[in-house]
Amino acid sequence: MRSARGVMSWWWMAALIVGFAAATADAQTVDGVAVDAEAELVVAVPDDTNNMDPRIGMGSTRSAYIRQVFESLVDVDAQGKPLPGLALSWKPVGDLTWEFTLRRGVTFHNGEAFNADTVLFNLDRMFRKNLDRWGIKDVTAATSFEKVYPTVSRWEKSGDYTVRIHTSEPLPNLWDAIGREPLVPREYTVKNGIEALNERPVGTGPWKMVVWKRNDSMRFERNESYWGSPPLFKRLRFQVIPEAGGRLAALRAGQVALVDAVPPLDAGVLGREAGIKVVSSPQKLYCRIYLNARPKDKFDSGGKDGLFGDSRVRLALNLAVNKEGIVQKIFHGYAQANASPVASVAYGYAAQEPYAYDVKRARALLAEAGWKDAGPDGVLRKDGETLTLQLLFPAKHYGQGFDETTPAVAEMLKAVGVQVVIKTIDYGSLLQTVTKGTLPYNGGFSACRTSNNLDADDYLRDWTAITLINWVPYPPELAELYRATRREVDPQKRLKLLADLQRRVRDWAPVVSLYQEVKIYAASARVLHFVPLTDLHMDFRGVALRKP
Amino acid sequence: MRRGAGAALGSLLVLGLVAAAAIFAPLLAPADPITNDLLERLTPPMWSAGGSAAHPLGTDTLGRDVLSRLLYGARVSLVVGFVAVIVSGAVGVLLGVLGGFYGGWLDDVLMRAGDVQLAFPVLLLGVAMLSVLGPGLGNLVLVLALSGWITYARIVRGETLSLRQREFVEAARALGALDGRLIWRHVLPNVWAPIAVVATFSVARTIIAEASLSFLGLGVPAPTPSWGAMLDEGRNYITTGWWLALFPGTAILIVVLVINLIGDWLRDVLDPRVERGL
Amino acid sequence: MSRFLVRRLIHGVVVVWGVVTVVFFLVRLTGDPAAFLVDQSATREEIEHTRRLLGLDRPLAEQYVAFLLAAPRGDFGNSIRDKRPAMRLVLEHFWPATVELAVAAALLSTVLAVPLGVLSATHKDGVADHLSRLGSLLLQSMPGFWLGLLLILLFAVELRGLLPAYGFGTWRHLVLPAVALAAAPLAQNARLVRAGMLEALQQDFVRTARAKGVPERAVLYRHAFKNAAIPFITVTGLSLGFMLSGAIIIETVFAWPGLGRLIVQAVPGRDFPVIQAGVFVFALIFVALNLLVDLLYAVVDPRVRLS
Repeated sequence: MRSARGVMSWWWMAALIVGFAAATADAQTVDGVAVDAEAELVVAVPDDTNNMDPRIGMGSTRSAYIRQVFESLVDVDAQGKPLPGLALSWKPVGDLTWEFTLRRGVTFHNGEAFNADTVLFNLDRMFRKNLDRWGIKDVTAATSFEKVYPTVSRWEKSGDYTVRIHTSEPLPNLWDAIGREPLVPREYTVKNGIEALNERPVGTGPWKMVVWKRNDSMRFERNESYWGSPPLFKRLRFQVIPEAGGRLAALRAGQVALVDAVPPLDAGVLGREAGIKVVSSPQKLYCRIYLNARPKDKFDSGGKDGLFGDSRVRLALNLAVNKEGIVQKIFHGYAQANASPVASVAYGYAAQEPYAYDVKRARALLAEAGWKDAGPDGVLRKDGETLTLQLLFPAKHYGQGFDETTPAVAEMLKAVGVQVVIKTIDYGSLLQTVTKGTLPYNGGFSACRTSNNLDADDYLRDWTAITLINWVPYPPELAELYRATRREVDPQKRLKLLADLQRRVRDWAPVVSLYQEVKIYAASARVLHFVPLTDLHMDFRGVALRKP
Repeated sequence: MRRGAGAALGSLLVLGLVAAAAIFAPLLAPADPITNDLLERLTPPMWSAGGSAAHPLGTDTLGRDVLSRLLYGARVSLVVGFVAVIVSGAVGVLLGVLGGFYGGWLDDVLMRAGDVQLAFPVLLLGVAMLSVLGPGLGNLVLVLALSGWITYARIVRGETLSLRQREFVEAARALGALDGRLIWRHVLPNVWAPIAVVATFSVARTIIAEASLSFLGLGVPAPTPSWGAMLDEGRNYITTGWWLALFPGTAILIVVLVINLIGDWLRDVLDPRVERGL
Repeated sequence: MSRFLVRRLIHGVVVVWGVVTVVFFLVRLTGDPAAFLVDQSATREEIEHTRRLLGLDRPLAEQYVAFLLAAPRGDFGNSIRDKRPAMRLVLEHFWPATVELAVAAALLSTVLAVPLGVLSATHKDGVADHLSRLGSLLLQSMPGFWLGLLLILLFAVELRGLLPAYGFGTWRHLVLPAVALAAAPLAQNARLVRAGMLEALQQDFVRTARAKGVPERAVLYRHAFKNAAIPFITVTGLSLGFMLSGAIIIETVFAWPGLGRLIVQAVPGRDFPVIQAGVFVFALIFVALNLLVDLLYAVVDPRVRLS
């Protein structure tokens, strides 16, 4: 007879084995480290988003929020290279058509299917067509596709998973222009109106928005039926902490696990602290001084042409700025000097010969352009005109590095004989001034430019039409070269044209390029595999939290 | 009161020193407060590691000497404080006299306007107006002056009203005596005491208000140094650059403190009933 | 009494209307927000289109009339940044954030002021009195935001996060901003209480009470303090008004998501509806508080009712 104890112990063993198996089956590991699949990752961010509807606008802050929930046809990797997103592939068909093949089996968070109809609806919204037919309101959109890409004529589907877009002229970067716009669901938007996109956004992304406390936080939850591999942790929260010091204090106190927008000065200190990792990546924020070189009929000029129309003068100003000094002293290495008008992480970027820091050559160039008489105050004069730059400076808009750079650069320009008068204004007034064209003839402004797109075209387009940012219109040769890059369909040839255009723009020097920013994150050691993107947002697919 | 007088005398002395420092700033300052030099960025005060005697109180984020900026910043604070109060006092007295003397709809309008203005949070009015007018020392003084006239107006109006009701005034007016002389001889002697007290405290409040507006980025525009703007620049560097915020903050504290002490003493001496604790 | 009340009410309505009108025209002088909403490469036509969508191209008088008609319904338009009803946004920030802060600071500055002031008055010229007066003077001479920065430095940085420096959520987040906001009014109120008590203590009726053998504590609170109460009520009421004003800058320093900070952020962004709705709320509260103080005054001091 088996002893009762013998039977019991057998049952105990079985129970133990089953229990153990069950426990280990749940335990997830990443690279051999146990991770917590139910954890919440709290990210400290400097600002809230105004909107979740991508059409209203995407900037660097808003992209981070919007792209957790919504996705676009073209995805991007950490180096800024395009990847298949909601589109599996895209290719030109002939010269005047682009064809997108869509991913199958993708659903929105509410179960609505993603297919060609979705894309057509989004195209209608982007180009402001058929809004009445859909019964939705227009939004005050940041980018008007119909104005920027007027050669796009029509779009249609071919089957449920193929979309064709037709243009009246070749448009080689259309895949980028259309491909980066996050897509919204058709039936949901038509049924609930566009306000629903802001209040209860429904997208295809790896995260669902759960709660939005304005100016405080936004909570997301894992999308369990995501088409790719679902995130490795369950909840994500963006916590708004406007002051950098506050974000870092929260990280050190363990209240957040990841901090966005770490100031350069703190990055060095943080990197030496135990339990904290600092990661950084160049990004597309490109800061410059824009100079007025418009002809007198193109702005509210009082009869004078823009003072900075001579490209030698602009080139001289570029040579007068100690860009490496800015990078090292103000940004502690967390910035890049860039002589190309295109951000270094964009597709089509071609590195250019850097602008040397050469005060003598700067003065020589200025003299060549006629500015050789220095008055008793050191300011250069020509034909009774002083070389004065009235610099509009939008303080507190872009961040501390920018606020420190502008006065430092003003000082450097003074050293070559430019009288710089800094007018600190708020960003709104600056927008007003450049919109109305009331920038003084000897005026300029410092501002930064970013891009939602991957292609270099977005940057080179700046000097084509008269827009609020274009104060140095392309001369005919450069305009023609730009148009050629817009028409060339062969990728290799186009890259060559783009490189050529960048080289010529570098020498033509429409702006005084200051620096390109590097974004800095600090993460607690619990956070695994967080990789900063060169693009504007943060990607948490593949990020895991170590089990405590 | 004797003790109060001692404190008041000491305060006047300190204030005088600050004013002297402001006036003689070009002679006292070790460097130009505006020239920036990236290489000298964020050097600590001379008694800390890394500091140098060339910059006794250190340098700011653009390499500008803190002591120099402190001295020149005194000019802004003192000028803004005193000029704004003088202007608002003059305007307030004028309007108060007009309202009290002529009464009727003018008085009503002025009092309502005063109420409306009081219902605005003071800082908000400043923010809104500076957004319209744009930054600048003149605009700043204007905005700060505009926010204070009501108190003076009310004090003067009260006195003027009671004056109007006195019979000899009726008689004098009937005889054609100039209104101005009446006001000068009868209203002003009674009001200058409370006005002096209010004005003194106003200077203190205005200096703090200027600092607050500069802190919000609306004060005297860069690169002119002002204590409030220095505080604003320093707030991002509280740990790494503590000297940036500490010195201007202490300067404001000292100046406002001594002005408050003087105001206390004035109040005790002139009229203990007036503006108690205001 | 009711005539007094009605008169004060009408007066209050006029004041609020005046405030709102001034703001309406003032902010429109700063320019328009359309330029903010468009891309950097926008053309003038796009900006005009945006202005039309926002209704900003209509004549000013027409906009004003439309505004006046809609405002009593609570419709202040949609925030230009957020695209949601401005009044809703304003109320979300006002309650609970600003209210919590203002009430906490008001409580601190009045409740603590009483024992401090009484202590100072009863121990006149003693050590406690001198310390208290010096402390009051110091607190009143500091810009509130500087005190805030010092508190942040001390508590959040030096003491390694003993109290959080930024944000909103738990009672611990409330401590530093409330203290920073309450400091100067506390100092002022304490001095007031002290002065009022001193004066009351010297009155004849106090001496009478003492001669009659009334216990000291009763003398203090029942007789002296009640007389000091009148100016105290006034200042407390105005103090709450000051809280609203001071909250603006304290909210900015501590990143407290309140109405003051919302308005300060809306101004450079030219978000007219939010600015108008926010100032309206502030003015309304201020006027209501004043009315309340007047009422209290009238209740406590009958002479006021007859004026």
